[in-house]
Amino acid sequence: MTATPQPQAKPKPPRGTALPLHRALSRIWASDPRLRGWLTTSNNNDIGTLFLIVATTFFVIGGILAMLIRAQLATPDSAYMQPQVYNQIFTMHGTVMMFLFAIPFFEAMAVLMLPSMLGTRDMAFPRLGAYGLWVYIFGGSAVIIAMLMGLAPDGGWFMYPPLSSAAFSPGIGADVWLLGIASIEVSAIATAIEVAVTVLRYRAAGMSLSRMPIFAWYILIVSVMILTAFPPMILGSLLLETERALDWPFFQVENGGDPLLWQHLFWLFGHPEVYIIFLPAAGMIATILPVMARTNLLGYGWVVAAAVSLAVLSFGLWVHHMFTTGIPHIGLAFFSAASTLVAVPTSIMLFSWIGTLWKGRARMELPMLWILGFFATFVIGGLTGVMLAVVPFNWQVHDTHFVVAHLHYVLIGGYVFPMIAAVYYFMPLITGRTRFFKLGEVAFWLVVPAFHVTFLAVHMAGLLGQRRRTWTYDADQGWETLNLVASVASFVMAIGFALVILDVAVNAFISARGRRNPWGAGTLEWAAAIPSPAYGFASIPVVTGRYPLHDDPDLACRIARGEGHLGDASRNRRETLIVSTARGEPAQVAVLPGNSVMPFALAVVTSTSFLAPIAGAYILSGIALIGVVVLALVWAWGLGSRVDQGPVDAGHGALLPLATEVPDPPGWWGSLFLLLADGVHFGSLLFGYAFLWTVAPNWPPQSYLQPDGWSVALALAGAGALAAGPRLAVSAIGRRRAVWPAIALGIGGVVSLTAAAASIWLERPNPAGHAYDATLWLLAGHVGLHTVLTLIMLFYLAARVAAGYASPARIGEARIVSLWADFTAATGLVALAAAWLPGSFG
Amino acid sequence: MIEILRLSVPLTVWITGFSAVYAVLGLTCSRHWPPDFEARPVLIALWVAVIALQALCLAAILRAPSSSSFVQATSIILAATALVAAIWSMLPVIATSSCL
Repeated sequence: MTATPQPQAKPKPPRGTALPLHRALSRIWASDPRLRGWLTTSNNNDIGTLFLIVATTFFVIGGILAMLIRAQLATPDSAYMQPQVYNQIFTMHGTVMMFLFAIPFFEAMAVLMLPSMLGTRDMAFPRLGAYGLWVYIFGGSAVIIAMLMGLAPDGGWFMYPPLSSAAFSPGIGADVWLLGIASIEVSAIATAIEVAVTVLRYRAAGMSLSRMPIFAWYILIVSVMILTAFPPMILGSLLLETERALDWPFFQVENGGDPLLWQHLFWLFGHPEVYIIFLPAAGMIATILPVMARTNLLGYGWVVAAAVSLAVLSFGLWVHHMFTTGIPHIGLAFFSAASTLVAVPTSIMLFSWIGTLWKGRARMELPMLWILGFFATFVIGGLTGVMLAVVPFNWQVHDTHFVVAHLHYVLIGGYVFPMIAAVYYFMPLITGRTRFFKLGEVAFWLVVPAFHVTFLAVHMAGLLGQRRRTWTYDADQGWETLNLVASVASFVMAIGFALVILDVAVNAFISARGRRNPWGAGTLEWAAAIPSPAYGFASIPVVTGRYPLHDDPDLACRIARGEGHLGDASRNRRETLIVSTARGEPAQVAVLPGNSVMPFALAVVTSTSFLAPIAGAYILSGIALIGVVVLALVWAWGLGSRVDQGPVDAGHGALLPLATEVPDPPGWWGSLFLLLADGVHFGSLLFGYAFLWTVAPNWPPQSYLQPDGWSVALALAGAGALAAGPRLAVSAIGRRRAVWPAIALGIGGVVSLTAAAASIWLERPNPAGHAYDATLWLLAGHVGLHTVLTLIMLFYLAARVAAGYASPARIGEARIVSLWADFTAATGLVALAAAWLPGSFG
Repeated sequence: MIEILRLSVPLTVWITGFSAVYAVLGLTCSRHWPPDFEARPVLIALWVAVIALQALCLAAILRAPSSSSFVQATSIILAATALVAAIWSMLPVIATSSCL
């Protein structure tokens, strides 16, 4: 076992070092002034705050839509809304709450709080975070603007075809959903990569995996879930949009498609999505509850194991949303069994929290009240979830308001209440002020009872048979009183939520300045000055336990005096520490980029490329796509160095290499996670292909593609050259030899593999004829897209080597290109084999 | 990286095995499956194979412990969870009707 870094005895600096250090770091880390600052900032405080404000705005919009729904359903035979409008309203309510509020809100909290919790100065990829924010703002705004123009989608938030296909949803409503949400998914993936690399590599010295704050575990798990759950949804959106725009018949039964494919792809995303939303809230509870109970979390290791288990098990439940689609009994039994299984890790978490309360002395502060509201609500939502996992019961209540009530118990009780607790808990840190006005307590006593009245009534209406997504009901069905009660209570709840927002805003701007660590917490975020300065910590802490502030009450002052790592601003750049993944030993020094308008500009062209097709502007979309490539290259070119700088003094006697001078720089880790998402996307495509081949009614097609010897030879040779070329380039850079032959070999591999893929397009020229042909085009498209990307990377690498950006120490960029080339070669071979396989066996 | 793999592999094996058994179920109920070839023994064999793999994961973690007691304890819990999940979630292969 390697010894954990201990706080080393260091000559105590003279008093008065903290203020000069604070001034120097504030200057280095400052955002640009005025409006320009908001467009160019990449600091996690600014990005997180903007994320939080925008997500809250979308919550308000989604809430207004909810009130419109309840106004419509308050009385029978209501003429308040016509069905066409009602369909748009409930579709947008679900879409806004799930995609524009729930996910971005916890991402905002993560971006805002994670660096402080981990004892680092910023996220791993600050500009990527800014890019994710702007893409989210543009995509979300486009969806809202479409709604205001009366062009909103109206097929329900899960957009089942054939209802959402061009035949039954003409107009651009469904396109707005598909393309708008796709751009938001890009934002979520960008943030997930940033979070995963930050948690694994950017921590305080000595912060091993076992010493990580519990929220870091939860958010790490969630970021991996986003990277593996979103790709099936992105593929589904791609399939449905190509069907709508180009008539490729993935979901048209008469041409070999199957609408059930959409349901599989959607719920492969949609069920884990519930846990993607719940787990960050659970992380917040596990963080806040022990502090409120004045003790430590009971069963830390068990909670980590439960969170990992819950995350993975949630990927085995997707079919429980499809129990009424005619799936064989044995399949129903698999997913029913797996659905009951998730109650076990969830219960472990709940018992850990109850046990923590038991061993501590709880204080009834406002965050604690909201957590108690969570307990009362989430347990009921969990139990109705177990009821829905039982197939016969599920058949009875499928698509009724019982399901609506269940999901609101889980999402509001399991997510919104804990997140409100988190906002109040972290408010002193974010705003630097102590809460003075007590509207929050009033809001709590309005929201929680009104919530239960609303959704218990909705449960009952569902049990009595009221269908969801119907715009009205007749007067004699026995649902009148329940609906009226639910609607009145829902307005009380809405007033309560409005008071929460008002309370937070008023206290953030008007209350008196507070003191550091008002709750007496033991984790690192409370060691930062309040409100948290742009640089986070004046020096990177050295920790020896899970609760550093309890272990060393003087830690905050010592950090401020620069007694941790990198407590010297003389190099005049944004530095932070990278540690080894498991043990948290200091390993590298990262130099983070400064303010730049590049993320904003790249987000503009990215969003244009996504959103222009909604208006039929395909040429503009294509131009924007070229803009994405050009700006991404300009962005990447600005990183790195032309000279080896060697190890730098990181304090505490540690000489560490710069992150640009190691074989596994942060960009390599980021690529690894992006390729994980890419691999799942590719796997989803193979799943869709196998599903259609196995299940779709109008298969087989008239003929299968027959592989020819030349194409197979081109594929094999291309993949081999593509894998070998970049590896040889890495080796050549390491030995200071010419890289041109290796890069030429890689380019040859790209050309050869692309030619093999192109043979499919040439041999099957009509992708609109049958789902088989459309799928072949997508398989070949996957190969083509990745070979083009790899080609661009190879040319870029050649240019970087020529310009002096590579050396035996600065080998990281070449290794990143090699990683991508390996992926292209491997998935290219699998894609082509899948395309040729059915024809090979006649 | 090894520590992360210790924590993540057992349940990854479960989700892979679970998906594989479900995929083979789909195949056995499709037009591609020979009508006179009994599906249940194949499904049971696959289920047993997944359980055996999970047991191997657990044994491997026990035989080559991590230097971190936290990682070791957590990875044992996760491997045991994956083993129980494999037994429970695919148990219907022995009793439920296949393609109805």
